[in-house]
Amino acid sequence: MANVKLTDVKKVYDNNVVAVHDFNLDIKDKEFVVFVGPSGCGKSTTLRMIAGLEEISGGTVEIDGEVVNDLQPKDRNIAMVFQNYALYPHMTVYDNIAFSLRLQKVPEDVIYDKVTNAAEILGITEYLTRKPRALSGGQRQRVAIGRAMVRDSKVFLMDEPLSNLDAKLRNQMRAEIILLRQKLDTTFVYVTHDQTEAMTLGDRIVIMKDGYIMQVGTPAEVFDRPNNLFVAGFIGAPQMNFINTKLTKENGKYYVHPFGVKMPVDDAKGEELAAKQVEPGDIVLGARPEHIVLSESTDGTIPCTLEVNEMMGSEVHLHVYTEDGTRLVVRVPTMNLTNEQRESLKQGKKVNLAFESKIMHFFDKESELNLIYA
Amino acid sequence: MKKYSDLEYLRLSKGQKFTYGLASFFASIPVFFKNLFLGIGRFFKNLFVGIGKEFADLGSTFAKGDWKTKISYVIMGFGNMARGQWLRGLLFLAFEAVFIMYMVVAGGYWLSMLPSLGKVGPGEVYNEVLDTYVYQYNDNSFKILLYGVLTIFFIIAFIYTWRMNVKQNKIAEEILATGKPLKSGKDDLKSLVDDQFHKTLLALPLTGILIFTVLPIVFMILVAFTNYDGTHDGYYSNLFTWVGLQNFNTLLNWSSGNNVYAATFGEILTWTLIWAFFATFTNYFLGMFVAMMINKKGIKLKKVWRTILVMTIAIPQFISLLYVSKMFSKNGIVNGLFLSLGWIKEAIPFWDSPTLARIMVIVINIWIGIPYLMLIVTGILMNIPADLYESSRIDGANAWQQFTKITLPYMLFITGPYLLTQFTGNMNNFNVIYLLTGGAPTNAAASSAAGTAGYTDLLITWLFKITTGAEAQYYLASVVGIMVFVVVAVISLIVYNVLPSIKNEEDFQ
Amino acid sequence: MSTNQTPKRHMGLKASARISNTIIYILLIFISIIWLAPFICIVLQSFRVESTWQVGYVIPQQWGLDNYVRLFHSDFTKWYLNTFIIAVAVAVIQTIIVLCMSYTLSRFRFKMRKALMQFMLILGMFPGMLTMIILYRVLKDLGMTQANAVPGLILVYVASSGMGYYVSKGFFDTIPKSLDEAARVDGATRAQVLTKIILPLAKPIVIYTILTAFMAPWGDFVFARYISFGTSAGMNVAVGMYNWLNKDMITSWYTTFCAGGVVVALPVTILFMCLQRYYVEGVTGGAVKG
Repeated sequence: MANVKLTDVKKVYDNNVVAVHDFNLDIKDKEFVVFVGPSGCGKSTTLRMIAGLEEISGGTVEIDGEVVNDLQPKDRNIAMVFQNYALYPHMTVYDNIAFSLRLQKVPEDVIYDKVTNAAEILGITEYLTRKPRALSGGQRQRVAIGRAMVRDSKVFLMDEPLSNLDAKLRNQMRAEIILLRQKLDTTFVYVTHDQTEAMTLGDRIVIMKDGYIMQVGTPAEVFDRPNNLFVAGFIGAPQMNFINTKLTKENGKYYVHPFGVKMPVDDAKGEELAAKQVEPGDIVLGARPEHIVLSESTDGTIPCTLEVNEMMGSEVHLHVYTEDGTRLVVRVPTMNLTNEQRESLKQGKKVNLAFESKIMHFFDKESELNLIYA
Repeated sequence: MKKYSDLEYLRLSKGQKFTYGLASFFASIPVFFKNLFLGIGRFFKNLFVGIGKEFADLGSTFAKGDWKTKISYVIMGFGNMARGQWLRGLLFLAFEAVFIMYMVVAGGYWLSMLPSLGKVGPGEVYNEVLDTYVYQYNDNSFKILLYGVLTIFFIIAFIYTWRMNVKQNKIAEEILATGKPLKSGKDDLKSLVDDQFHKTLLALPLTGILIFTVLPIVFMILVAFTNYDGTHDGYYSNLFTWVGLQNFNTLLNWSSGNNVYAATFGEILTWTLIWAFFATFTNYFLGMFVAMMINKKGIKLKKVWRTILVMTIAIPQFISLLYVSKMFSKNGIVNGLFLSLGWIKEAIPFWDSPTLARIMVIVINIWIGIPYLMLIVTGILMNIPADLYESSRIDGANAWQQFTKITLPYMLFITGPYLLTQFTGNMNNFNVIYLLTGGAPTNAAASSAAGTAGYTDLLITWLFKITTGAEAQYYLASVVGIMVFVVVAVISLIVYNVLPSIKNEEDFQ
Repeated sequence: MSTNQTPKRHMGLKASARISNTIIYILLIFISIIWLAPFICIVLQSFRVESTWQVGYVIPQQWGLDNYVRLFHSDFTKWYLNTFIIAVAVAVIQTIIVLCMSYTLSRFRFKMRKALMQFMLILGMFPGMLTMIILYRVLKDLGMTQANAVPGLILVYVASSGMGYYVSKGFFDTIPKSLDEAARVDGATRAQVLTKIILPLAKPIVIYTILTAFMAPWGDFVFARYISFGTSAGMNVAVGMYNWLNKDMITSWYTTFCAGGVVVALPVTILFMCLQRYYVEGVTGGAVKG
């Protein structure tokens, strides 16, 4: 039950590779923060620096107001769940969960109560006398969580805890972590490379790339107002479509020209652009697949050829290419399509696309920053 | 040499590829040596820059430090104690006291004698009380050299500790400036089982290595530059002294006409390399062959075959080797059997003919070595993913092709470093040679010079012979030892740096 | 390949497999004989009574325990005891040293780690025998040679054993580091990580280290000969029994040597066979790691 404050935290390896650049973040008490990013972005390194498993090259880490840079992991009062569970193979599940309590010299009857209680919550009571190797992946994961639960620690760290599980189990465990969080009511720092996990679990998401923080915000913020091209592309699946185009201004109104089709920018967006005093020029236009629609009209729409039709069940992902060969993805709810339409959407079919101009994103071509939000 | 791009390389014929590979190999040798020398140069540059930095830091620490720091330059540990770190301070102080005491009592003497290795040898001295001449021992060259080296070690350790002591003051001042408390003695002790645990763990092993390996090796390298031998043992017979590079000249200079030492050394070195080559590769391939036979699908009693071979590992080598050596002697069981069966008319001189003896040691070494190889190869064979074989069968490979295209490359990649250690290990394989033949048959031409060198002697057994007996030529043994080191080091360096197969070790992971 | 050819070829495969398997069996039996023959001979000759020297036949004409009786009335018992004491002491101390060294090099990333490992690699290229010359004289000054060779030998064997860390370091490297980390987060000190997590998991390599350390002194010849220096009371079995085979003694001691060989080899071999599994694991792991 504590806040975690990282100030200018830096990680430089012996070979002068910088894994994390000046990382600043204030994690509030009882907040659930998710670090997300592609592999090698420094998210795990940062977590491990909070845990004390990785030396801090620069800056300070504070837990509950105390600088912990020079403290050993055991003295930081944290709990951690590892990607590969890190269960002690020679101990039973009970001993695994009790390990930290025994090191603290907690009386055995207290340990018994705590361990059985945690096992109850996690539904692993019947496995307490087994060794980890006799458990399935999901059960091992629960034991790992149980081991962290009994600690009453200030901060709960999780390093890609679900990435070794199969897809179905992962969804189930994700829900359980949400429940667990409600029960434990403590500060969580969670690392993942999966943006879905980040979006569903986090109060706030920290998106990282190459050791830099790209954006910090609530799931809604990073989805609706991505700071830059990277965040826009990373959050949301299928990925946002990016189109190189020009931004022009006529009579105080902004226009974009995707594939040579002149489109007016939505008034509200135009005002925001104007407020930022954005000059016309080369931009990257971002449109999420769900914000592109099939259109009957040929006027002001983009003619494309259908390449692949992925039927996902409740929605259809259409992979199309424009006349200049750019590939775009369009996401159409299945219920919006008639049976004939579904039949006709085959490879080679010509379709016309229109943009929902209210939900377009504009990025500077050079800096890749969002022209409105950054 | 023309460098091909990847696509061009693919168009080459097999012969061209081979020539190209060979050419690149030879082209890489100069580069390797260039890099080696550059590396050595960089090492020394970094060393001097580092030393320079240390001095600069010493100066600035003194200039910026408070009075506690300044006094610590003379009285070690003072700063620690003045700042409340009693444990560290006392240890520093104690070390300084011991060092000064030692230098005054003994170290100074040893160090002063080191350049001469002793002035007064043993001899008869007139004793007034007894009114007669008594034989008296005086300086001890051996001890002078040994303790001289030890004293130098001690001085280096002292300088390092002193430097650490100064650094401690600097660090302490910095920590105090941020307002944090210093570590107490209790914290220090605790950290020895925690974040400094490696120091605790390494203390004993490294002390052992320092005293029983590093010190003797330094000593023996120095002996190569003296005339230390049976008649100059430094105390009882005569003192020994520095002779410069004379011993190296004796052993390595072929040009000085009839140099028996150089000829013997050359001959033994050649045989050592031949032996190491055959001993390594016969074992390797035959071991692989046996392992593959046992592991072949459909062969039953796998465990029995394996156990029979493995059992021979357990039996101490001196028993098996000595016994086998006697089995093949003139009146041994093998000759006896052959004679009684009428296969031969007179005993085969297994150990008396140079060529036959050399073949015999290699063959018997196979007998010794195959069980180990069988174990290792079996372990690796099990690790080769089965789908490689399945996929190659679908691609149409037969058993022989599977062996040459999958098993063998895999083996060579995995065991590359092992082969290297085997090779150098065989170069120094004392037991097999000494217990089988003791170096015999004697090489008449060579033996007049040093020890009694024989046709099957390796450098290492020769070295052993040189050091035993009344006329032990320790200085020569030491030169031979240094040469063994040089040969092993050169081979290892080349194998590790030039051969691409070891560089790309990850390929099969 | 057309379908009607398949059955024919199938039978061909089976037949050729049978032939090749037969050849392999013959080879394996031959190999087994070659490998076991010397040991069978040594056992048979140890029971031979009619002659104490080498003879041209294998099966004794007269069986008896004379050689064993003679063996136990010679210095052999002394040598045997010496070797046993050395082996036990070396097994204990060397195992501790090797484990300390290999665990540290596997788990800690301290400043001089790489340099230390390279330094030891270079040290290992010097022939160890070279150091004997000086160690002998130093031990002699300390009174640990000749009749008192046992403590001296233990010291020599054990002192540099830290350099033989490769195999067990390779094993430690295979234990996931996250176990250490989890334990440290759980509140363990580094020392507790070693005793509570790593050592229980390292049982195979601990046994391997003990086994090899215990077996080495039984076969060592060079160091033992140097340090005992002709004094029977300080010899180990290898040095003592080696002398029985020199020109002057072989005629009367050959069969006693065989009996001694059996007495030495038997316990070591039994121990080895019991712990074979661990030995195989260590040897293969070590070679693959390099």
